[in-house]
Amino acid sequence: MFKTRLTAAALLGASFLVSPAVAQELRFTVWTGNDAHLNMLNSIGDSFKATHPDVTVTFETIPAGDYIQKLTFQLAGGTPPDLGWMFENSMPTFVKAGVLEELTSTLAATEGYDLDDFSKPAMALWSTDGAVYGVPFSTSPFMMFFNKDMFDAAGLEDPLTLADKGEWDMAKFREVSAALAAANEGKWGFEFKDGQGYDSRIMHAIMPPIRVYGGNAFDNGECGFEKPEAIAAVTQLHEMIFKDGSIVPPGEQGDFFSGSSAMTINQISRASKMPGAGFNWGIAPLPTGPAGASPVIGQAGLVVFAKSKNPELAKEFIAHMTNADNVAVMAQFFPPARKSVLNSDAFTNANALIPAAQMENVKAAIANGQVLPSHEKTPQIEAAMKPRFDALWKADANVEEALKAVCAAIQPQL
Amino acid sequence: MTPSEKTTTMAHASRVPWLTLRRKEALEAWLFVSPTLIGFVIFFLGPLIAVGLYSLTEWNLLSQESTFVGVANFRDALTVNPDFWHVVRNSALFALGLVPMNMALALMLAIALSRPFFGVVFFRTIFFAPVITSAVAWAIVWKFLLQGEAGAVNQLLASIGIDGPNWLREPNWAMFAVIVTRVIKMVGLNMILYIAALQAIPRDYEQAAQLEGASRWQVFHMVIWPLLAPTTLIIMVITTIGSFKVFDHIYLMTGGGPENGTLVLAYYIYQQGFEFFNIGYASALAIIMFVIVLALTIVQLILRQKGSG
Repeated sequence: MFKTRLTAAALLGASFLVSPAVAQELRFTVWTGNDAHLNMLNSIGDSFKATHPDVTVTFETIPAGDYIQKLTFQLAGGTPPDLGWMFENSMPTFVKAGVLEELTSTLAATEGYDLDDFSKPAMALWSTDGAVYGVPFSTSPFMMFFNKDMFDAAGLEDPLTLADKGEWDMAKFREVSAALAAANEGKWGFEFKDGQGYDSRIMHAIMPPIRVYGGNAFDNGECGFEKPEAIAAVTQLHEMIFKDGSIVPPGEQGDFFSGSSAMTINQISRASKMPGAGFNWGIAPLPTGPAGASPVIGQAGLVVFAKSKNPELAKEFIAHMTNADNVAVMAQFFPPARKSVLNSDAFTNANALIPAAQMENVKAAIANGQVLPSHEKTPQIEAAMKPRFDALWKADANVEEALKAVCAAIQPQL
Repeated sequence: MTPSEKTTTMAHASRVPWLTLRRKEALEAWLFVSPTLIGFVIFFLGPLIAVGLYSLTEWNLLSQESTFVGVANFRDALTVNPDFWHVVRNSALFALGLVPMNMALALMLAIALSRPFFGVVFFRTIFFAPVITSAVAWAIVWKFLLQGEAGAVNQLLASIGIDGPNWLREPNWAMFAVIVTRVIKMVGLNMILYIAALQAIPRDYEQAAQLEGASRWQVFHMVIWPLLAPTTLIIMVITTIGSFKVFDHIYLMTGGGPENGTLVLAYYIYQQGFEFFNIGYASALAIIMFVIVLALTIVQLILRQKGSG
């Protein structure tokens, strides 16, 4: 009897030793709920099984508006995801808080990964002192969307034609905006990104002009809004709003996508809204300025959370997800930062809504673009900026004084 | 005590059941209140104590770094941070604007709709409907109506020769706009409370006063209004508390702007806690708000007692 029990116990123990590896799950948070996006992400998760057959990647959607808050509560509340998407303006805060895993060694050790294939400007935000904490999966430039029908009706050359002729600069932008507003009563020449330039997208509204005037918002702890370049750029916007009446003013709605404005700055993902717009359209580079061209890119990246239960596995999945093959797969929705994919014909033809010639402008903007300024105290800086910009966007505001007030408000945070 | 007496006493004691009628009633009472009590402890008292403890720390939710700082958060809010008194002022302005407007309108509607007439249910439903309307939908519609020149409100004003302001872009007008839109949204709730109170007043009192020759105003002023006093006090307390706690309406309509003109205390607490992750500081602000609301409630109760005395 004893012998039988001993044998049974030995067999049971042996069965544990030879049993297959325990199935593992990686929880991956994203802010997209788009079925096409999720199908693509799941296919990349499935392809990871080729090298990690026991690993299942589960993508969990948290709406973009709540993403950072809910993510933070999950991290603080003991239910952390293993990895996830990260907004560009939240990245410095998360790095500073020490809640992200460093990815450098895993990416360097992954065969054929080639980290140098990512353009340096595109990686700037995701690396600190040579240590990589995130990999951008979307590097989307800001482009000028224009309503071709409104330009044609006003007898004006559109921004794409002007850019090809080398005449698409800030002066021309102001000129055509005013002409378009004059030709279309009750409509405007230009709308800030998603109509939120006075509220949640202040930086998106002011940074493209400030950059082409040669300025910046802040750099190395110094505020740049009160410098002559920034003052000149914001003065032009202010005059376009309140003197020319060519930019949708604060408190009004002038949606580009429904034909109320002739131009807007946005990212190419918004091209998906155009088939239903009911007018002919195109995308062009941003206008140049006294400092030349200065494309602006918006990014989102992939990170591994320090509290992950499987940090090494999560890092390996990021290496898998951002290898050249998968970046090419994702390029159908998310413009790539990998040069090899960016320069391929596959990317040029990836977006069925945007002609190849216009995609060349997108590629050039990605290659040369700079991200928006970021800081570990971005939420505090934006909260401090907002009331001072509210005071700026008034017809009788003194732009220079208002921008000095912005600097006074944000300097303690810098 | 003789041994026999001792034995008798002990025997008597052992016969007395533990579950006496008094104990049974007490146990039943505790069992009846226990669901509420458990909920109160878990969902109110526990978090309240936790907030009190958090308020004594400098705790960053993201980095999970926490340091005990004593009353430093309270000292900073009350004596150093200029934004704090600005948001308290805004909250007070919001309450001062909203409470009288809401109560006056609710009373007028209740008087008009407390008596049965053809279509009364329809009108009650119309005025109550905004209470159950989604706050998001309400804000979107009003933001659209309150646009600068193109807004329906300003178009309407223009048709009678009035040049309306840019409602949500000028600090004072923005505060006025959020108060009025909040009043319209919530007035139905107080209207229902007043209707219930009016219907509970026996018609005899009114008729007796009329027989004595009282005018309609005198009937209202001398009979109805004093009898409505308990309801008025309750409405005043809950509306004041609600106005200090307002968050969603401000978040959706103005985001605290323009120029922080509508940045109220509840929104400021949200900003500190959930945008800047300063949970310790946000907790201290929440405690201060709790004390302010408690003090206002006590003042209202005292005034009521003095009034009735």
